[in-house]
Amino acid sequence: MTRLAMTIALLACALLNFAQPAAAQSKYHEAPAFDDQVKAGKLPPVDQRLPEQPLVVPVVEKVGEYGGVWRRAFLGPADANNYVRVVYDGLFRFTPDGAEIEPKLALGAKSSEDYKVWTILLRKGARWSDGAPFTADDILFWYKDVIQNKDLTPSLPTWIRNTDGSAAKVEKLDDYTVRFTYDRPATLFLQEMANQDGPDLSYAMFLPAHYLKQFNPDYTPKDQLDHMAQASSFRSWTELFAQKATPTSNPERPTMAAWMPVSRVSDPVFTIRRNPYYIGVDKDGNQLPYIDEVRFTYFADQQALNLQAIAGNFDMQARHIQMTNYPVLKEQEKSTGKYHVLIWPTFGGSDAVVAFNTTYQADPAIGKLMATKDFRIALSYAINRDEIKESVFLGLGEARQAVPAPSHPYFPGKEWAQKYTEFDRDKANKMLDALGLTKRDPQGIRLMDNGKPATIEISVVPAFGAWPDVAQLIAQDWQAVGIRAVVQIRERALHQKMRESNELMTEIWNEDTTAFPFTGGSKLDPRNSPLQTLTLGPLYYRWLNSGGKEGVEPTEPLKRIMALIDTARREGRDGQIKAAQELFQIWADNVFEIGTVGLTPMVQGVVVVNSKMHNVPTTLGNDWPLRTPGNARTEQFFFAK
Amino acid sequence: MTRYIVQRLLLLPFLLVVYSFVIFVIMQAPPGDFLTAYVATLSATGTSITADQIQALRHEYGLDQPFIVQYLYWVQNLLSGHLGLSLEYQRPNAELIGAQLGLTLALALMAFVLTWLIAVPAGIYSATHQRSVLDHVITVINYVGVATPNFMLALILMWIAFAYFGISITGLYSPEFVDAPWSIARVVNLLEHIWLPAIILGIAGTARLTRIMRANLLDELNKPYVVTARAKGLREWRLVLRYPVRLALNPLISTIGWYLPQLFSGSLIVATVMNLPNIGPLLLRALINQDMYLAGAILLIYSFLTIVGTLLSDIALAMMDPRIRMET
Repeated sequence: MTRLAMTIALLACALLNFAQPAAAQSKYHEAPAFDDQVKAGKLPPVDQRLPEQPLVVPVVEKVGEYGGVWRRAFLGPADANNYVRVVYDGLFRFTPDGAEIEPKLALGAKSSEDYKVWTILLRKGARWSDGAPFTADDILFWYKDVIQNKDLTPSLPTWIRNTDGSAAKVEKLDDYTVRFTYDRPATLFLQEMANQDGPDLSYAMFLPAHYLKQFNPDYTPKDQLDHMAQASSFRSWTELFAQKATPTSNPERPTMAAWMPVSRVSDPVFTIRRNPYYIGVDKDGNQLPYIDEVRFTYFADQQALNLQAIAGNFDMQARHIQMTNYPVLKEQEKSTGKYHVLIWPTFGGSDAVVAFNTTYQADPAIGKLMATKDFRIALSYAINRDEIKESVFLGLGEARQAVPAPSHPYFPGKEWAQKYTEFDRDKANKMLDALGLTKRDPQGIRLMDNGKPATIEISVVPAFGAWPDVAQLIAQDWQAVGIRAVVQIRERALHQKMRESNELMTEIWNEDTTAFPFTGGSKLDPRNSPLQTLTLGPLYYRWLNSGGKEGVEPTEPLKRIMALIDTARREGRDGQIKAAQELFQIWADNVFEIGTVGLTPMVQGVVVVNSKMHNVPTTLGNDWPLRTPGNARTEQFFFAK
Repeated sequence: MTRYIVQRLLLLPFLLVVYSFVIFVIMQAPPGDFLTAYVATLSATGTSITADQIQALRHEYGLDQPFIVQYLYWVQNLLSGHLGLSLEYQRPNAELIGAQLGLTLALALMAFVLTWLIAVPAGIYSATHQRSVLDHVITVINYVGVATPNFMLALILMWIAFAYFGISITGLYSPEFVDAPWSIARVVNLLEHIWLPAIILGIAGTARLTRIMRANLLDELNKPYVVTARAKGLREWRLVLRYPVRLALNPLISTIGWYLPQLFSGSLIVATVMNLPNIGPLLLRALINQDMYLAGAILLIYSFLTIVGTLLSDIALAMMDPRIRMET
């Protein structure tokens, strides 16, 4: 995406604005919920609350009706991203299919020819939920007083950095224009923009400056701040600021989202209510959102949550719904008619991969084998993927390596997606024999160089899916070709810790970052911390991060992958596609991780939708960077009376 | 007696200091910290966070400090009255625990009363009518009650309610009352929901207490003083209630000591399964997420309750049974 598309989007906005006569008295309509407040003069009329050029949100089926409460469930404060996904409160957002980026709170953006300078245009007359104007100052506040404040942000977000690590220049050209100047081509600027909505305890790139200044030392004396922090039992003013700046923990904080919090994410029910100043309208000029309120009810346990989902007590939810409940949900869908069940498969990758630690050192003999490409290929041939698909994934999805979906532009081709995925025990045995693993112990397990039986531990966390079951099936398959596998089910924090300290041999997880190899915490980039990736080689990360002093130097294919990622970051869309395709060819060919089954709705892809709820798309790009279901433009969901 | 109580009370602060240290050591024992657990949660819900961001947070929360510094910080917070700040909720622990305390106590008390109301009469009946049909029935029910884990019972009842009556019994309120202000309607709604978890929580205890009551009473019933009293013509029910029952109650009373904390922690799994808003799930969650200040605060309260409970049952015993004297 692209300058061209952006320009078109801008043009479309402009045209739409001309198409509607500015003189009409009430150009826009609002929810009846506001009638009383407007009549009483507590709230200005809707025309004055909307910006000059509101965001016109296309509807999926039809123009909706106002009202209703959208019932959802969440698992407590650590699940604040549940809210992030519902509101998708960004300057830009991904389109429903995830292929493009569209302006949301911003009016548009344009870049220079060389992608080094980006200009963001804001909507004139847009307002925060308390009625204060939303302007360039709100972005500048974030830039000057938040990310450049060493106490609040010890290290700059990577996307805003120049090549030398300093912050790109951000200037206010006028109240509604902000210019970003990098010393490098920032071709992925818009993708980053679409994700700067403040997830995971981070700061959104636009903050209500008029409200937050009272908690920032650039505007309020520090001892006063310390005093305030102490009064709220915080350790320091930074904790206080973080709490005040996060919409989910502070209902007072003004927001730009379609719904504004009225309680906290640490309450038993987290409620967000319609924002009278939301900048979006439908094509008939009705101010959005249609739905009055979203209620997130707290569940201590995922099973209890699923039971309620089956009973039809949520209006639209995919998060935390377990794929294993799909048959039960389908049954209830038929018998009660209360809801229907949709499926939104992910963008590809694979929903259970075995990642090999190619820098494993605790046992050099097995470490050497895992670092050998043919060994990994042999183990890939040894897996019966049909069995896994039928018994674990309910027959959904397909056998594949961890590459993007065929519909995605980064798809490297069918031969790569299916490389080494056929079930062929003979071939596996021959390859293992060729590696010199010919001697066996009495149980038929192959002996390694050091005379010990080849034993691989598969560490598995019961996180999303029935990964322990996948691990058991794989262990059986490997046993059949003379490699012993021990399945170790671990608590997730312990697993994570062991991955970081290079103690895992292999692990089962999902490869879900294939649609976004160049941004965010891609699992394909060895430079990303093992905390956010897989155990593909924690010592490579250490080597790369210590300038070669510690750890292990990455192998040639990995170096090539990093070079491709760097290239893509400098290139336009076509260059990115080319680089991504080559990257995935290398990825599939080297089987750093063995893909089993992919394109299933395992990850938040089984969607329960109340039969009365409309405008929920039946197909939708489903991934975290898209903030699914946020990319379905939740403000246009509605309940039919 | 007074001296004994005062001595025990004086010991309390010292014990709490020891407990607090032990609790903190145990909580720091599992690998990783709150942020490792937080990152794991994020990656289990499809999100990722950068290493820089984690480092910044670790510094902000003081998790990069040495153990003893963290411990002292915690103690300082405990003394300040708000019991420290929960890492996950970013709210004072006292506020979080306080919000759950009322319902936890209500539920625990209901289960407790229910247990005693059923267990004591059933035990007496079983003992005085040994080997009768009803005694056998009660015995069988007791064995089943002791042998069935109460979370299992909760699951079965929830399934029956859903499969046959189409209702889902999770939580203590209907959805519209969860965050409503207190009102008569809300209390009624609460009462409609609370009896089932109270029965589930009480059932194992009931079975156990009935067995104890029965066994103790059987021992007493054959003693010479009972025979004498009977020979002298004392009416049977008056005799049984007045002397042997009083003695048989002793072991039951000494269980009150550990019953107090057990009512909180014993409901942990049931409350999680049934999604009850009490301290159990709060503690479980704090432990899983390594929210050490919150978990520590709750565990310390448990320790406190255990100490107080033991003291209370000692005092109650002395009052019930004049033969017991407080030696110092």
